[in-house]
Amino acid sequence: MMKDKHISFSDKSFVLTAVIGSLLVMAVVIGTTLWASKETAAETDEAVAAVSHFYLEAMADRRAKIITNLINNNFEHMEKLLPMIAEEGIDSQEKLRAMIGKIKALLSLRRFALVDEDNVVYTQYTTYTGGSRHTFLAADKLNKRVIRTVYRYGSSKQLCLAIPTDGLVLFGKPFKACFVQIDIEEIASLLAFDDPGRTYFGLYDRNGVNLSNTNLGSIVSRQNILEATRDILPKAEWEKLCSDFADEEHGGLTFAFNGAEETLYYVPIPDTDWMMVILIRESIINDQIRGISDKHLEISNLQIAVTLGSMMLFAAALLWRLWKISRMKLEAEMKNSRAFQSMANTDSMTGVRNKHAYSEDEAALNRKIMGKELEKLAVVVCDINGLKVVNDTKGHAAGDKLIKDASALLCESFIHGAVYRIGGDEFVILLQGKGYDTREETIRSLNQKIEGNIATDDVVISMGYSVLKPEDELLYDVFERADQMMYERKKELKRMGAKTREA
Amino acid sequence: MNSDTPGKENGAETFSAARREKEVQGAVNFEHALDSYQPKKNHYNFYFTYKIVHPWWDAVALGMEDAQRQYLKKGITVTYEYMAPNAASAADQTEKLLSAQQGSYDVIGVDVADEAIISPMIDEMVDSGYKVMTFSSSDAAEGCKRIAYVGNTHNYKDGADLTEALCAKLNYEGEVAILVGSKGAPCHEDRAKGAKDTIAKYGNMKLVAIEYDMDSVELAHELALKILREHPSLAGIVCCNMSNPVGAARAVVETGSSAVIVGMDHDQEALHYLDDGVIYCLGVQDCYSIGFETLQTAVKIADGNLPGEMFPEKRDEPTTIIHQKDAAFMLAFLYGDAS
Repeated sequence: MMKDKHISFSDKSFVLTAVIGSLLVMAVVIGTTLWASKETAAETDEAVAAVSHFYLEAMADRRAKIITNLINNNFEHMEKLLPMIAEEGIDSQEKLRAMIGKIKALLSLRRFALVDEDNVVYTQYTTYTGGSRHTFLAADKLNKRVIRTVYRYGSSKQLCLAIPTDGLVLFGKPFKACFVQIDIEEIASLLAFDDPGRTYFGLYDRNGVNLSNTNLGSIVSRQNILEATRDILPKAEWEKLCSDFADEEHGGLTFAFNGAEETLYYVPIPDTDWMMVILIRESIINDQIRGISDKHLEISNLQIAVTLGSMMLFAAALLWRLWKISRMKLEAEMKNSRAFQSMANTDSMTGVRNKHAYSEDEAALNRKIMGKELEKLAVVVCDINGLKVVNDTKGHAAGDKLIKDASALLCESFIHGAVYRIGGDEFVILLQGKGYDTREETIRSLNQKIEGNIATDDVVISMGYSVLKPEDELLYDVFERADQMMYERKKELKRMGAKTREA
Repeated sequence: MNSDTPGKENGAETFSAARREKEVQGAVNFEHALDSYQPKKNHYNFYFTYKIVHPWWDAVALGMEDAQRQYLKKGITVTYEYMAPNAASAADQTEKLLSAQQGSYDVIGVDVADEAIISPMIDEMVDSGYKVMTFSSSDAAEGCKRIAYVGNTHNYKDGADLTEALCAKLNYEGEVAILVGSKGAPCHEDRAKGAKDTIAKYGNMKLVAIEYDMDSVELAHELALKILREHPSLAGIVCCNMSNPVGAARAVVETGSSAVIVGMDHDQEALHYLDDGVIYCLGVQDCYSIGFETLQTAVKIADGNLPGEMFPEKRDEPTTIIHQKDAAFMLAFLYGDAS
């Protein structure tokens, strides 16, 4: 018992310490994991923004370079062609047209033309006065390469590249320039992305006019980019975008619209007054890096869930153990209580109820009698005949045996009664229920047996009994009558030859 | 002239924006296809001369080039010269036509610079066996032997319609000036006549000046400034060609005048002035269609065909009057200019 108590106390302390410790560890693990996840997400966002801009800048620069190369290549082609044209001996408009046709086919040019000093333009099929159509011809003489954006009637936009043709004279006419004119939509087709649904680009002039007729996502679409973003961007960002366009500065910005994040980057294309704008919707990089980040977050969340689950299982096990220990302790205490109770109410020699038990039961019965809750109750008072003689003549061991035999006889006879040893040789039996109903028969049968025992010198018990009467106020009233009857019976048995104290 | 009910004054704003855009886009047709006529030759060579080097005729040229490309896709090469002087000049046009007679052209096309001078010359050329047609803005004089005309046949009405809109805007009272393009150019003169006749209809309207800018924006600007100086209370200016309204608008902005401007054509700067409310209305001609149909008609004439079921003797192309609310649509439509 002492050992159990010691273990329970230790277990409880251990369990409590373990539970509190576990909760603390769990809180720390979850807290740090969440903090780490949040930090990772924030750093990822920063990295995404930086990489996105870097990525977009690289894409924009690459495409700007393509345009620059295209421009330079066309200039170089024209510059190399001029001496060939001069040496060709062209002496008529027809020969010049044929030559232009060859050059166009050779260089895959849509429009290649020469311009004489009167601003008459010669193409493969047409000769026309072009002073108002080609603004670069406003100057009497060209001194250097010219790059012009042509806003053609009919809304198509073209890139015009012209060079001076100093000294070129064909069929007697001095020529001042040659030029190629390239549809900007054709240039745009060279710059297209593989994933047009996610990455967009557009070529714009400094006023934001879309030159390439390309779709810059759903927000800007084919509109003027400055007009389209006016109500979407914060004022300061929009003004910066406008000033960057006007000053031909590169830059980038990220904005959200209708729940989607758009990142755009713009770079000026040298010598053209153009801006190359790249826009990524829900950036690919963003997605990819976010994907990695999200995976880490998922792992962290899983870690938290596993930790939480493990800790909960552990805590549940500990709580169960604690509950079990408490229950065991409670049961032990109850058992001890019952044992003490039993010891207090049991006669150690005979095993029947003792005087203390009788007193408790008497008190309980008295409450019922006083409350008129009881109708059937009989009290049998018994006294062992000849106990003193046996003690004196045969010793106390024999006396004790007599008492045990008497007790056993009473217990065997009053199966449905409560047997109490209230003194050395005195017993009381309380009869209720079936024991009450069969009392007459039981007592008669027992008395016959006792009377038979006189001759065999076996156990002789004097019994008297009485039943509860309506006028009785206490059990003692019934006891008194039974006790009186028992003394009468004792006399009667004496007459029959039973031993007495005196004998 | 296709004329809309003008502006906010008479409730025309019930038009939806989409409908306005569609109607504005109907002013110029950029979508053309050759008709079912099968040319008899694989190569044609033409000569066209027009009044003056000017963006209006550059727009006509684009329509011609569209037809030229479509013939090329059918295996038919069409070469041509499309020539004009820097300043409108009947003498220059005469020289060009004389020169053209020395070349081997299937058809010679003329945008008549001065009908009194050029019409007889065309008659002589036709009599000499040259196939001559007129095109774009100005036909030859009535009775001229040119084979056909493709272009604006209602210049007088255009001038009258624009002036009527101006008079209504001014409540039919006030001093008005007329800016004209080239002297003798039928299209400009007809519009000016339409304007004069309309002003004359209203007793409280007074014509105070008529000036010719010779299709020069700079000259139009100078002339408008001069008129505004001489007539500070000028209420309106009728502009009969493409350069007039640009010069007039610049002058009105500079002087702060409240003169109401009505004018012709689709100059990008003029459309911006229309968008800003400096110009009240513009009559936009379908230059692209004029160019396309001119080349297609020239091919038919070159094959020896005469006006009839195949093509009309006069092919009219419409003029549409547009107002401030239409300007942005027209700028975007013609120039992709949403600025």
